[in-house]
Amino acid sequence: MTASGLSLHIAGVSKRYGSFKALEPTDLDVRAGEFLTLLGPSGSGKTTLLNLIAGYSEPNEGEIRIGKRDVTRLAARHRNFGMVFQNYALFPHMTVSENIGYGLAVRGVPREESARRVAEMLALMQLGSFADRSIQQLSGGQQQRVALARALVIEPDLLLMDEPLSALDKQLRRQVQLELRRLHLKHGRTTIYVTHDQEEALVLSDRIAVLDQGRIQQLGRADDLYNNPINSFVAGFIGESNLIPVIVKSISGSRALVESEGLRKSFTVEAGPRIEAGGNAQLLVRPEHLLITGKMEAGGYDGISAEIIEIAYLGELNQFTLLLESGQTMTAREVAGRSLGLGAKVHVAWKPGCARVVTSSTREKEKKSNA
Amino acid sequence: MSRLPLPLRISANGACSLVLAFLVLPILSVVPVSFNRSSFIYLPPKAYSDAWYGRFFADTEWRSSLLHSIEVALLATAMALVLGTLAAIGLRRVGGRLRAGLAALFLAPMIVPVIVTAVAFYRSALDVGLNGTIIGMSLGHLLLALPFVVINVGISLRAVDPNWIRAAEGLGAGPWTIFRTVTLPHVVPGIVGGAVFSFVTSFDEVVIAVFMAAYSNKTLPVKIWESIRLEFTPVVAVAATMMILIAIVLYACAQAITPKAREGGL
Repeated sequence: MTASGLSLHIAGVSKRYGSFKALEPTDLDVRAGEFLTLLGPSGSGKTTLLNLIAGYSEPNEGEIRIGKRDVTRLAARHRNFGMVFQNYALFPHMTVSENIGYGLAVRGVPREESARRVAEMLALMQLGSFADRSIQQLSGGQQQRVALARALVIEPDLLLMDEPLSALDKQLRRQVQLELRRLHLKHGRTTIYVTHDQEEALVLSDRIAVLDQGRIQQLGRADDLYNNPINSFVAGFIGESNLIPVIVKSISGSRALVESEGLRKSFTVEAGPRIEAGGNAQLLVRPEHLLITGKMEAGGYDGISAEIIEIAYLGELNQFTLLLESGQTMTAREVAGRSLGLGAKVHVAWKPGCARVVTSSTREKEKKSNA
Repeated sequence: MSRLPLPLRISANGACSLVLAFLVLPILSVVPVSFNRSSFIYLPPKAYSDAWYGRFFADTEWRSSLLHSIEVALLATAMALVLGTLAAIGLRRVGGRLRAGLAALFLAPMIVPVIVTAVAFYRSALDVGLNGTIIGMSLGHLLLALPFVVINVGISLRAVDPNWIRAAEGLGAGPWTIFRTVTLPHVVPGIVGGAVFSFVTSFDEVVIAVFMAAYSNKTLPVKIWESIRLEFTPVVAVAATMMILIAIVLYACAQAITPKAREGGL
């Protein structure tokens, strides 16, 4: 991969609107050529952060650098980024070519060079035959490509994308995801991508920053976030998870002894970061790590009695919803083949080393104090 | 409409036609009157002649009043367009209560009785010596014309997606370039509409003009009003016909310009 574009450095950047803290002081470093996704629910601060990077709003504190240049107080038009908006924001009174060439025209790029670069972009995006069409005559997918072409033709230092696929239908979205990935691998343009769709983030990104409540909860590669989530929010947002509230009894080395009041059971599991003895925490088990057995295997793993209350067939996988004696439910997935009936009384256990205890996110602490 | 039963449709169309006739016919009646040969008003005229048009253009007072009206209306329109467009853009940028308050202020001249505006403006103009001047009259008419521009441009600005502005900004365009290449093509219809309304508002305005006009720079409506108090000659009908004609031409121009204006680009 060849890197084009510059690195991005964000140090202690925060944003308040009145008394509302949209973004807590945040640090983030993006390498040149990296594809980084800001992933989070609405109101998590991901769009706020993107707008600060673009210069559409000014931070209350902190510093933003693109490459070596401090852009913290620089107007958006001097920052040299390309942006793809959620609704594309194409200029409806211009043709496809005029839209793509807009950034070149305002930069005073000579007419012939501009025409050549627009033509290259049209070819790259397979829009050649649409050059003189008006925007209204294009489909959603074509408009999306025009928006991307308009952002890329100026050879930006950063490519910023704000939920660019959310207006497309599911099938097209998957296709465009793959195109985006291919394009990025080929050109290696530094990209900041905002989405609330975890699947999109997993397919596209080199690294993912998971945001919630105005804070980057965790930053890492997709597999890292999946396997070592820092807290229950990240665990719940990346992939599917079963979370059971527990109290941490003691810690020895990398393992912790935890107790679930609801299940009236204790377990020894892997301890995630920032776990302290005596505190409340969440026991995390992924659906594919749960094992369903007919009866407790003597000397086997820790097991819980449960009843199968729902079965969903996902093709190669079966998904079981299990009702525990405590009234909680868990989800288990296994490769199809075994016939387990609805209402069957079973025992549930997890594969050794696959259960972790993680801290409750602030979100869940609040939920608890409100209850 | 076409789904209505036939008798109902006929009576609905009939009622509409009557209302329309009531609104339009008295106005249009001045046209045949202006071609009257007699110096008395007959409707329909007993004999036709364009003699009164000759009289209108031969009379320096009538002619200069028409020119004054055009001059005042052009000045008022130019000022209303610049200030009204800026005001409409500004109103889009401020939020909530401030916007509502400012909008009410800009639109107030439409609600305040014209005679009140006229007296207030007359009194204020005395202090700065604007009475009896063309620019004084234009400023008075600006008050009445401004709301039309603010409203028309404001409506077309609603079609401008704030993300277009941000996209253009991100692509390197400065505020003036963004206005020229992104905002303006979408507000041209509003500006043209505002211009026509402004011109016509000023062109046929009589209350402020009566207060503000000096003997030497009467506008056409003031001249008509003065003439009709002395004698109702067909020259007045000629003047009225000219006003109708100018209004029709302006609306036609506005209609012709508006659809083309959208295609302008960079």
